[in-house]
Amino acid sequence: MAMPRIKIDHNKCTGCRHCELACSLNHAAVANPRRARIRVFHEGNVFFPVIAGPFVDAACTSKLDIKIGDQVYDMCLLCRASCPQKPFFIEAETGFPLKCDFCGIPPNPSCVRWCNSGALELIDD
Amino acid sequence: MYGRTGRCLRVNLTKGKHLVEEIAPELLDKFIGGRGLGVKVYSDEVDPQTDPLGSENKLIFVSGPLVGTGAISGASCNVVTKSALSGTIACAKMRGHFGAELKFAGFDMIVVEGRAESPVILSILDDKINIRPALEYWGRSTSETEVMYKENLDDKWAARETHLVSVGPAGERLVPLANVINDGFLSVGGAGIGAVMGSKNLKAIAVKGNHSLLIADGDRFVRVVTNLINKLNSAPFTSHSMSAWGSAFFIDLCYQKGMLPQKNFQSAAFVDSKDIGTEALSNTFALRSSGCFACPIACIKKTAVNYPFFKGKGMAPTYWAIGALGLNCAVRDMATIGIAHMICAEMGLDPIAAGGTVATAMELVEKGIADRDSLKLEFRFGQGEDLLQALTLMATKKGHAKRIGKGGQALAEEYGQSKRFMGVKGLSMAAFDPRAIQGMGLHFATCNYGPHHLYAYTFIEEVLGVHEELDPLTTEGKPELVKRYQDMAAIMDSLGLCNWPLMGLKFNNLVPMINSCLGTEYRADDLLRIGERIWNQERLYNMKAGFDHTHDTLPERFLKEPIKDGPAQGQISKLDEMLPRYYELRGWSEKGEPRAETLEALDL
Repeated sequence: MAMPRIKIDHNKCTGCRHCELACSLNHAAVANPRRARIRVFHEGNVFFPVIAGPFVDAACTSKLDIKIGDQVYDMCLLCRASCPQKPFFIEAETGFPLKCDFCGIPPNPSCVRWCNSGALELIDD
Repeated sequence: MYGRTGRCLRVNLTKGKHLVEEIAPELLDKFIGGRGLGVKVYSDEVDPQTDPLGSENKLIFVSGPLVGTGAISGASCNVVTKSALSGTIACAKMRGHFGAELKFAGFDMIVVEGRAESPVILSILDDKINIRPALEYWGRSTSETEVMYKENLDDKWAARETHLVSVGPAGERLVPLANVINDGFLSVGGAGIGAVMGSKNLKAIAVKGNHSLLIADGDRFVRVVTNLINKLNSAPFTSHSMSAWGSAFFIDLCYQKGMLPQKNFQSAAFVDSKDIGTEALSNTFALRSSGCFACPIACIKKTAVNYPFFKGKGMAPTYWAIGALGLNCAVRDMATIGIAHMICAEMGLDPIAAGGTVATAMELVEKGIADRDSLKLEFRFGQGEDLLQALTLMATKKGHAKRIGKGGQALAEEYGQSKRFMGVKGLSMAAFDPRAIQGMGLHFATCNYGPHHLYAYTFIEEVLGVHEELDPLTTEGKPELVKRYQDMAAIMDSLGLCNWPLMGLKFNNLVPMINSCLGTEYRADDLLRIGERIWNQERLYNMKAGFDHTHDTLPERFLKEPIKDGPAQGQISKLDEMLPRYYELRGWSEKGEPRAETLEALDL
């Protein structure tokens, strides 16, 4: 079944984190990256936008490394899950886990609208 | 309170204590925040005669109300103090993510007072405020400090969200050319601030926070910002040139107009701009865009350098760095300029001040006034090695490089050659020849912060011609232009916005964004008026610190010697034609003093 997707291009991301604010303004009506459902991590000069996925209450028992080009990255960096090892995407006040909902139906993600670098793109095929 | 947190953190390093204060709402109304608020608080609390490096001096970090709200390019955090290099008021514009993180940490402003006995780091992490001993960080470069600090934090994920501002070895050793560095980004226009921070034994400030910022009319704000992003995207400079090369793309333009200085402003012609323009930049460095917080333009370019003398990752040189460190020292090798720029970032030197000093020394040597024995280093125009050695030595104050570490003006005066120092109020000139760009020349002469282009970006009209095309060589309408841009820069810094969006937008376009965020009903003119108030406040401080109309001038070279070569050959700066009109527009007397009625009208 065709499903709308957000395509992430790590090579284009500038790490400006405008997407984080677009998300928090849209969902929480305040500016606060910690309440956003997308976060941008970086390793060296490369930025990785990560969109909130499932909440899990147990961490992995094994670690994965991922090699992109010549560089080896910790897979946890790219992982979308919120887990005890990576306590992101949780509302600080309520403790509720957050998950990306593509900003409603039909999907119109606010992060993509504010991403000017072309790193985030909505694909519908 | 919309946009702002309304809180100030006051830290006394002598006592090792801190205090959280509310910022008076009437101060925020009158001076907005950011630079304006910083300057007001600083002028009220610090005696203008104070020694910049004494423990009585204060250091203020202040983020504007739009920083961290999602307003386009709302990332700027200002550092206000008295410059150790010039003795004027100083205000660095810090880019990157520190300013926004400071707001999320719950503070608009940090006021640092006193002096710690031994090196310390101030950390504000999730509402826990600590002054930690930092002896092991002392002597480390700025990037080492950042890496080490983050490695020492227990929570690795929290470390990823922590942002630091620090001084390098130059600031620690009180070199007056020192600047502050945050997130690996060089600050703009902060020569002398690094030494003040070093004199307080404050190695770094780390922030991370969890607070939310409120927006007055969120729906409208989101619509307006979306609209502005689209506008920036359809304007040629902001959508393409700046994103591709950063401000380095000005090199080609300035070269064509003959305003690119060479050899300490002795010449304006270049054999071939291919060596130094955008082509060379792309060929030399693997460029990767890196945006400041919430910036759709992302003009900062990160790169990696591999060179026997220096290895590392950092910022690729911007226009002003290429101009000051490269062309003005007649160094044309892009790789060398890149390394020089990174040395500045690692050591915590200001590229314009350091480059200007080296260029002054090179001219003294070229003219046979100084020699290798007296300077203990060879200073030959065009020799990259000399430049790199000089930068390293002036930052570490080793041996006889102490002499050049004092700055260009002190060096030139030592040889009785103050006319060979190309700067105003003790600060070196940014890389625009004021003879070929008259408006910028007037700004250089009158700017409260010394001759730095980013406190009035008239370049946007005089060279790029974004909103109106003005001939850079004429003086017509220039005093009006300079005043408008100075006020505009003052208000934009105070709000926390970068100047670059003006390359694609009009100032008026930004007003709905400001109003919907702060819940105000400003018109563009109201904001410019506040900018004017801030400009006058700075002027008043400088006057009390001993600066008057005699300091509103340019070096003799620009007023008397015509440009020898290049497209603007034969031009001199017509400052005398513009200055009286400028004073009149500002409501100042012929002696450059704000008239009583002007101050009253501005509510000062």
